[in-house]
Amino acid sequence: MTTMKEEGNYANRPSNTAFTQQRLPAWQPMLSAGVVIPGFLLIGLAFIGIGVGLLITSRSIQVLELDYTGTETSSPCYQCTMSNQSNCVCKLSFSIGTLFKGPVFFYYGLTNYFQNQRKYGVSKDFNQLIGDVSYFKSPSSDCQPYQRVNGKPIVPCGAIANSMFNDTFKLYQIINGKEELVPFDGKGIAWWTDYNIKYRNPDYTPLKNAFNDTEKPVFWTKPAYELDTSDASNNGFINQDFLVWMRRAALPNFRKLYRRITEGNYKDGLPAGNYSLEISYNYPVISFEGTKKVTFSNVSWMGGQNEFLGIAYLVIGSMCVVMSVVMLIVYAKFRFPEED
Amino acid sequence: IDCISHFTFFYYPKLYTPGQRNMYFNRTSFLLCIMQSCYNSLILFFIPYAALHDTVRQDGREIADYQSFAILLQTCLIIVVNAQIFLDTWYWTGINHFFLWGSMAAYFALTFTMNSNGLFFIFPTMFHVFVSGTGRNSLNQPNTWLIIFLTCLLCILPIVALRFIFIQTSPTINDKARKYKMRRDEIPAISLRPPATRRVSKRSSYAFSHSQGYGDLVTSQKFLDKKTPRRPLLFVKSLCKLAHMIIFGFFVTFTQL
Repeated sequence: MTTMKEEGNYANRPSNTAFTQQRLPAWQPMLSAGVVIPGFLLIGLAFIGIGVGLLITSRSIQVLELDYTGTETSSPCYQCTMSNQSNCVCKLSFSIGTLFKGPVFFYYGLTNYFQNQRKYGVSKDFNQLIGDVSYFKSPSSDCQPYQRVNGKPIVPCGAIANSMFNDTFKLYQIINGKEELVPFDGKGIAWWTDYNIKYRNPDYTPLKNAFNDTEKPVFWTKPAYELDTSDASNNGFINQDFLVWMRRAALPNFRKLYRRITEGNYKDGLPAGNYSLEISYNYPVISFEGTKKVTFSNVSWMGGQNEFLGIAYLVIGSMCVVMSVVMLIVYAKFRFPEED
Repeated sequence: IDCISHFTFFYYPKLYTPGQRNMYFNRTSFLLCIMQSCYNSLILFFIPYAALHDTVRQDGREIADYQSFAILLQTCLIIVVNAQIFLDTWYWTGINHFFLWGSMAAYFALTFTMNSNGLFFIFPTMFHVFVSGTGRNSLNQPNTWLIIFLTCLLCILPIVALRFIFIQTSPTINDKARKYKMRRDEIPAISLRPPATRRVSKRSSYAFSHSQGYGDLVTSQKFLDKKTPRRPLLFVKSLCKLAHMIIFGFFVTFTQL
């Protein structure tokens, strides 16, 4: 009688495969001393090596920073901070002791400037910037309050475009009392993908015709199709300075690439001597307690000068080595008890 | 997931005590979890912040822009979370491997796809927020990878060190059982005494045999044909006893000769 019952039970028997009975072959790692202690030691030594390399590279980068906000009366740009001065030009003199190795990169920097604020960051109309002319007539509402002015739509609309940085710089080297212009290279200062893919001019020749019945942004002095009249590939929305500005920074103190110094006599860098920087001071920062500065820098495989990463690697590396010694002591003292 | 089989639990009922005493899910462990999360969050933000705040790319262009920073943080986060799962998994079957490495691979595949030029041309309005090109532009910098390496190891290494020290100084019963199992290759039950009561029922002992090798034995119906369940160790023991008796008998007879 039991056999009949058991025959019925066989039909309901669960399957006996390795997968369903949890008998799959498995790797069972164990945090054993033979792996952890040498591992920490190796990681510590590797980190110390990387840290030393990073620090040496960082120390070899030359950086020269000049603040030109003009808040102190002794600053050459002080008179430009007076209220409502337009087209003010100030000159900053400085000298370089040793050869500043090229290629030299010239940045402008701002502090206390929050390009990462949410409302500021969404305030642009992407369809305009890709060259879609139908959005020239009706900009997106994200651009408020920089959407329309005098009843006409603004192109390019939004707060990011409106606040574009408009100081310009000219660098002169003083040789025998005479000022010699240092040539700047403004090609390819924005990301390749920004220039070639993300931003497009509308398909009109001349470009001006696309902007009929639109207004330029309130803060700008020239409309978008006059940003660089000498070079059509740098005009309109694909202007390199515009692209650099539109790539908004993550942190409140940032610097953006302005030009490169790579041509002519300055191919190998800026030779030692006296220099004079002529600044067209247009951008107001004092109202929000920001500062403006220019930075000369050369770069290496790890980018600009940044000592934090090298020091962090060194510190963490030494801590790893110390920890491995501590763990060795703990392992030796509290050897795992051999009991069932 | 524990590597200790149910068979082992049957002979070591003390292994059930961590579950009964709520050792793995109580207020202390929850608090420790929160503290670890806070530490991880601070590291995940401030290390990239300090490393990127005043630097540029290899070619001098911008690296500290909003979208690059976001991608950097996301990558660090994905790697840290997956590494934490790696540390917490004690029993790695093929499925575990597939899901862990697969999710990391999927993250990178999706990032590069979403940042690709092709997808941007097909759906410009959807993908502009994202960042066409950011993945490539930021993740091809050695600086970025060094930051990711530092951040992830800084989040993981303290956990590993603390776990190792706690296993050495105050091992839980599961740690001891794991170590015991690692040292002994065979299943521990073979060398132990049989259970106190002998089972007389004809039902299969399938429910008790959850380690490899016993399932086939049970399902082959061998047990169902016999009156009393004959267990291999009993058989071996009786063989040993028989052998002893034979040798003793020979010895006795030889000495008496």
